Amino acid sequence: MSAGSTWLEPMRRRGLKYLRVVLAAGVFAGLAAAFVDFRGLVPVAVGRWLASVQFVPSAVAFATGVTGALACLVILFVTLAVGRVYCSVLCPLGIFQDVVARVAGWFRRKQPLRPYRPAQTWVRHLFLWGAVAGIAAGAAGFTLSLLDPYSIFGRIAADLFRPLVTLANNALVGVAGSMGIESLYRVAPQWAGVGALALPVAMLVLVAGLAAWRGRLYCNTVCPVGTLLGLAASRGAFRLELDKSACVKCTDCLRGCKAQCIDLRTGTIDASRCVGCYNCIDACDQQGISYRWSWGRRAERAPVPAVKPTEAAASPERRAFLAGTVAAAAAATGANRLVGVTETVKAPDTNLSRAICPPGAAGVDRFLDRCTACHLCVSACPTHVLQPAFLEYGVGGLMKPRLDYTVAFCNFDCQRCAEVCPDGAITLLALADKQVARIGLARLDLEKCIVKTKNTDCAACSEHCPTKAVDTIPYGENLRLPQVNDELCIGCGACEYACPAQPKKAIVVAGRRRHEVAVRRIDEKAKDPRKQNDFPF
Amino acid sequence: MAFRIRGVPGGGFPAMNTRRDFIKTGLALGAAASFANWSKLAAAETTPAPAGPRPVLVAVREGTRTAMLDAALAALGGIGAFVQPGQTVCLKPNIGWDAPPERGADTHPEIVSHLTKLCLAAGAKSVTIFDNTCDQWQRCYENSGIEKAAREAGAHVVNGKDKSLYREVEIPGGVKLKRALVHSLVLDSDVFLNVPVLKHHSGTGMTAAMKNLMGVVWDRGFFHQNDLHQTIADIMLVRKPTLNLLDAYHPMVRNGPRGKTVADVVEMRMLLASVDPVALDAAAAKMLGLDPAKIAYIKFGDAMKLGVMDLEAVDVRRINLA
Repeated sequence: MSAGSTWLEPMRRRGLKYLRVVLAAGVFAGLAAAFVDFRGLVPVAVGRWLASVQFVPSAVAFATGVTGALACLVILFVTLAVGRVYCSVLCPLGIFQDVVARVAGWFRRKQPLRPYRPAQTWVRHLFLWGAVAGIAAGAAGFTLSLLDPYSIFGRIAADLFRPLVTLANNALVGVAGSMGIESLYRVAPQWAGVGALALPVAMLVLVAGLAAWRGRLYCNTVCPVGTLLGLAASRGAFRLELDKSACVKCTDCLRGCKAQCIDLRTGTIDASRCVGCYNCIDACDQQGISYRWSWGRRAERAPVPAVKPTEAAASPERRAFLAGTVAAAAAATGANRLVGVTETVKAPDTNLSRAICPPGAAGVDRFLDRCTACHLCVSACPTHVLQPAFLEYGVGGLMKPRLDYTVAFCNFDCQRCAEVCPDGAITLLALADKQVARIGLARLDLEKCIVKTKNTDCAACSEHCPTKAVDTIPYGENLRLPQVNDELCIGCGACEYACPAQPKKAIVVAGRRRHEVAVRRIDEKAKDPRKQNDFPF
Repeated sequence: MAFRIRGVPGGGFPAMNTRRDFIKTGLALGAAASFANWSKLAAAETTPAPAGPRPVLVAVREGTRTAMLDAALAALGGIGAFVQPGQTVCLKPNIGWDAPPERGADTHPEIVSHLTKLCLAAGAKSVTIFDNTCDQWQRCYENSGIEKAAREAGAHVVNGKDKSLYREVEIPGGVKLKRALVHSLVLDSDVFLNVPVLKHHSGTGMTAAMKNLMGVVWDRGFFHQNDLHQTIADIMLVRKPTLNLLDAYHPMVRNGPRGKTVADVVEMRMLLASVDPVALDAAAAKMLGLDPAKIAYIKFGDAMKLGVMDLEAVDVRRINLA
């Protein structure tokens, strides 16, 4: 059986699996840490980099012309070469399922035998084509935010695991009996609203449940990235193959297989569902499973009599793959076209948005188009002003981050969200440009203002305003009344957050649908207010 | 027989081996001090004294931050007059804003650092620092330079945004503020040092010693809702600071309290120190060209006998280090 052996032969047994486990553990640890980081301890580069090499974010960035976003192409190339290693090594949702399956295994008396199951081809294609149709129809952001496995994991980790880890930390502070001094301190857990939290909770139950029950069933049934990469993998150059002459049908390989894609009766492995975990290679005492060069060997490999080339070309697999490639390209151009349209469309007179998107997003439509709602920015935002939306953007903006000024306000000197954003939805601006990026406009209702209603000083709004768009003017007898200079306002929400008026705030920020550029006022050097330059008292 | 002068900041005196050496040095030091630093003091003492003890306000000019701090403390009897060995010290600077030291939005880290070292040198058991910040607290602590400087000086830097560290207290004499959640460090420390920075303030006109104590309560919104000036005066009733030290090296004279750029600060190179927060704020107001009587919280503070607003009734000791 030396005819099909390859250069990969020597590292066939243990090496590959351990390599996979080590890489996956590293990627998972890095991403999980970035997502649950409630104290800002994980370097920005860790989350940013591990997120940027994810398939969907990098595909969005690539399709929208972000330079250097080539990870999606590399992943496709690698998949075409050696199969769906992305799913086992890079995809955090995939690795998470492996963790769940492993933990579930601890509670079983015996490792179950997971026999071969035929592929749920029509379900897989339903999700893949549904996604393609969604993208082509111009709802790329919405579609991808629902289906991108990386973003699904991100939301689970950011919205559920992060507050839980925060609570654990707080319990630890208490147990330690510390005053919160130095290394450990309490942090208020950040829970998203019930509406925004519903989907991550549902996805956690679904994905973890399926993983505990049958391994990578989610990846091989629902996940469109898995299906797309599966189409490439089933045309792969190197594929895992069973050496039928060595196989004693002991079923050891089946026990380790998370995809249930090894068919011992026909002696084949379904490459479209194999996630490249290499458990089977490791498990096989006969060394009967290995990577083999598969291009141009179709006839030899096929369990049934050789098919004619024309028939092979027309095989459902190939047809699907070709169609998939074409559709993906079409979807990409569709997304591009849509982005172009939203940028040029002239809204009549109003430029208002109920929800406010972060500076660097350029506008709500562009933002919703590109954001996959992975919530890496939600985790990274030091003030927590970025909160997952429920219906504030409309249904299409479900779970997309928005600035919630009841929670906090956007820090003037901070661009952490743009620093971590992997898909180009939030562009990293020069700090000076970020500081004039108008995402909203403060609207002051003096009839609600405490200075007027209670006839006392307040000006909490002006106090917090970083551009001094909100200033105070003399009012009444020795009081100071706030006023807003629209030109200078960037809509950061500091005034709204600080406003103590009840039950309704006197100053609220109205979001700008398309972001604008505020005026940057350069002040002259201040003069010494002392009457004499000596001790003025 | 060997004499050593201990506890003198900056030290560096030659060892004195004879009684004659000691007397000579002592005389020389005394003379230098009275001529160089306290020449104005004599003038201040000539003003007619009102009934009762007059609060002392020390105003220092034209030195580095640390030199002015040393001079101010020396004029008040040294740090030892406020910090006894074994005591716990809570130091409350203004760390309200995410701004670098040169913007003057927060107390300068040099002052925090030097004061921490002085307290520890005086035998303080511990020095802890916190503020309930306006901007995101970790960014304030970090970018103000205070966290690093304080840690290096040996202080503990405590989270001011941890609600569990606040305790509710009754404020019997409070006019508007009858009860408040106050940081336990303020309530429990043996010594409470208020270390504000002088700034313009768009809401109250100015901020210095009294206004800085808004950072020891959990709910600042209540202050804004219920007569900002009166509640600022009320909070002083919770715990009067052991000493107030005002950083006025480069006060922010407009766009306060956050400020926009370094253009908002004016280099005055001053530092004020007093046990009386009202007197200190009254003097601070004049530095910003304001009439203390027009700053309502100073007036309320005076009316509530928290201190003396009338600087004529204050023992002002002016020290020019130039």
